[in-house]
Amino acid sequence: MRNLRLTLAGVMGASVLTALTLTPGVAANAASPSLASCKTTIASHEYTKGKLTVATDNPVYTPWFVNNKPSNGKGYESAVVYAIAKILGVAASKVHWVTEPFNTSYTPGAKSFDFDINEISYTPDRAKAVTFSASYYDVQQSIVALKTNAIVKKHSPSQLKNYLYGDQIGTTGLAYINSYLKPTKPARVYSTLDQAVAALQSGQIDAIVIDTPTGQYMASSQIVDSKKKLIATQVGQFPSVGEHYGLLFSKNNALVGCINTAISTLNANGTVAALSKKWLGIYTSVAVIKP
Amino acid sequence: MNDVVLKLDSIVKRFGENVVLRGVSLELHRHEVVCLIGASGSGKSTLLRCTNLLETIDGGSITLFGQSLMDERIDPDLVRRHIGMVFQSFNLFPHLSVLDNILVGPVHALKRKRGEVRVEALELLERIGLAERANDFPDRLSGGQQQRVAIVRSLAMRPSLLLLDEVTSALDPTLVGEVLDLLRDLAAQGTTMLIATHEMNFARDVAHQVAYLDRGVLVEQGTPAEMFANPQHESTRTFLERVR
Amino acid sequence: MSLETDTSSSDTPPRLFAPRRRQFLVGRRAVWASTISSVLLVAAIVAVFFLAPGGAQVRYYFFNPHNMWVSFIGNPGKGLSSIGTGILTNIWIFLLCEVFVLIFGLIIASVRMSQSAVLFPFRVLSTIYTDVFRGIPILLVLFIVGFGIPELRLGFLSHQSPAVYGCIALTVSYSAYVAEVYRAGLYSVPNGQILAARSLGLTHSATMRRVILPQAIRTVIPPLLNDFISLQKDTALVGTLGAIEAVRAAQIYDSTEFNSSSYVVASLLFLALTIPLTRFTDRLIARDRSRRLAGSQ
Repeated sequence: MRNLRLTLAGVMGASVLTALTLTPGVAANAASPSLASCKTTIASHEYTKGKLTVATDNPVYTPWFVNNKPSNGKGYESAVVYAIAKILGVAASKVHWVTEPFNTSYTPGAKSFDFDINEISYTPDRAKAVTFSASYYDVQQSIVALKTNAIVKKHSPSQLKNYLYGDQIGTTGLAYINSYLKPTKPARVYSTLDQAVAALQSGQIDAIVIDTPTGQYMASSQIVDSKKKLIATQVGQFPSVGEHYGLLFSKNNALVGCINTAISTLNANGTVAALSKKWLGIYTSVAVIKP
Repeated sequence: MNDVVLKLDSIVKRFGENVVLRGVSLELHRHEVVCLIGASGSGKSTLLRCTNLLETIDGGSITLFGQSLMDERIDPDLVRRHIGMVFQSFNLFPHLSVLDNILVGPVHALKRKRGEVRVEALELLERIGLAERANDFPDRLSGGQQQRVAIVRSLAMRPSLLLLDEVTSALDPTLVGEVLDLLRDLAAQGTTMLIATHEMNFARDVAHQVAYLDRGVLVEQGTPAEMFANPQHESTRTFLERVR
Repeated sequence: MSLETDTSSSDTPPRLFAPRRRQFLVGRRAVWASTISSVLLVAAIVAVFFLAPGGAQVRYYFFNPHNMWVSFIGNPGKGLSSIGTGILTNIWIFLLCEVFVLIFGLIIASVRMSQSAVLFPFRVLSTIYTDVFRGIPILLVLFIVGFGIPELRLGFLSHQSPAVYGCIALTVSYSAYVAEVYRAGLYSVPNGQILAARSLGLTHSATMRRVILPQAIRTVIPPLLNDFISLQKDTALVGTLGAIEAVRAAQIYDSTEFNSSSYVVASLLFLALTIPLTRFTDRLIARDRSRRLAGSQ
């Protein structure tokens, strides 16, 4: 009895410590509890005892989910959730899905779920209000351009410097242009992504740098001419520089330590890579090019 | 005096519902001075404005030098270059010097050479004793001086006919004399003039004909002697008694 | 009852001194009063700035000298555009627009007030023009021009920089306003001036040029300058088309470095531009007023 108490206190102390020191990159390291201890303690941290309550938006889209049914285990994010549950010893039937709109997910305050999974990027700003898990998907920046633009064929690191880029203000894509591509002509900065797309469509800029998932959507369905013909293409994607999607918890939630343990185990045993290959082929198949 | 310069025939003018002129007919011969008298609002000013086409008439006809001004081919700008008009409120151009006020018509309407008109303008100013004020702006001049400049401005166009619209009504009583003296001079030189005025003594002295307007109707017309000594109509008599 | 007008007598002259508690408001003491009130006001503002609970926060996020300087000179390595260079874009856009607005505004106003039968369709067009472009928010005109013209793919016309499209949009919008300012100015010239000019046989256009315009311009200058002050500020909208002007440079700094001191820098630069113009406008208005008062004496 006394022993159990001590163990509990130790676990709680460790997870509080984890939550406090949680930063991107170091989120999943030493302070995480062991998988074995997690299997016994997880229930005590759950929002609803005996259930893992997971939130996402409604509707949800492929390839993250399939058929707008998070509970079917299909799609990358759904598959990741069930893999985490399995490794923590939570039966698939005990995973309970609830709805949380994207825009309210990262606001401060109590949450009515254990964690939210909804392609939410870690940002320092959001991390002030909520707690993020380690990365379950590393976001890469990609180039989107009109099929007719020279950049489609010529994009060696030195050639990439000569194009006129455009992007939405304050985005990671814009930061990537300025930090890694360092073009000779300063990038045009727009208030919204739609304006940058309009500029791309009318040939005012050569290319937009944007995360691969959004870029894939733009090239495969958004940018069309008056005959609804797709006119843009995703030229290539750059190696990841640390931007990632994380599971979102209420601030300093005690559960995050065990979830991070699970994620790092899934990374180590190749499960994440396999799921990503299975569900995110449209993203992973984009050619990787050097900045 | 058989030379008819201007012939007004049954002029009708309306402003909306309000009929201001109800068929006014009048003839003006060369070298003749006709004074229009009548109460304010009787239509004197409107008649003058209709004459130089500043207002379009609703009925009747205007004939200048035997040519009907009702003809569609008439260019009003050309007509006005032969008819001078002087206003109650002077209407000098405040942004132009006295000299430039006089030059603007001959130079920009008649396209005459500035240097040549300048000499004439200065002569005219000399005649009214304002030569040394040529470069002053109008607001530096007294009302009487301004009105005399306005008259000279019209004369510089060498008009065949001069229309004067109550030119002394806005003046300080002490300044009326100098303007009327100038008009007397002009009359003496044979300038053809149609004058709307409230100055009965002036009309008696200068006019060859006096016409009395009452609410848009030309009630009667005659020589000053006839009109002032022996008006035929009751309304004329009442009016003259009131202004005397 | 008698109407007595002089109630004073030789032994009690009327009181002419201000009441004791108001004596500090008159004469030489008034200078002291105004000095003291100014000092107190400034002290109050400074006190709020330094003593408010969030004062330090505000000083750090809005008035940080280091951030102000870096945002002013920019840092190309981090993609930070210089606000100092950005304001130059605002200045040339403003100067260019001002000239075009003056010309187009005058043309539109003249056409609208013309009487020639030939110009009838243009008269209708210019009326529609002023109605439409005074009614559409400038931001929308910017978008329509800035994203619409390039989409037309008209060769040269469709390959201009965002600043040029911004210039076109501002000119289009402000010409409508300025045309109305001109029109009001032209109507402010007394009708007698027109009658006098036409009586001299001057044509409509000669009357306009020689008599009406020179007089209208004097009344029009203060409202025109007011429009130009707001034009100066509206050059910041051109940033929405992707041009890097002062405000956009400040936004980029803020979104990259999470410090809003850049906005203060941009504000100061705009003030440096507009204050001379506002002072000049006020002086013109005062001069015109004193001249008119002198004229009426």
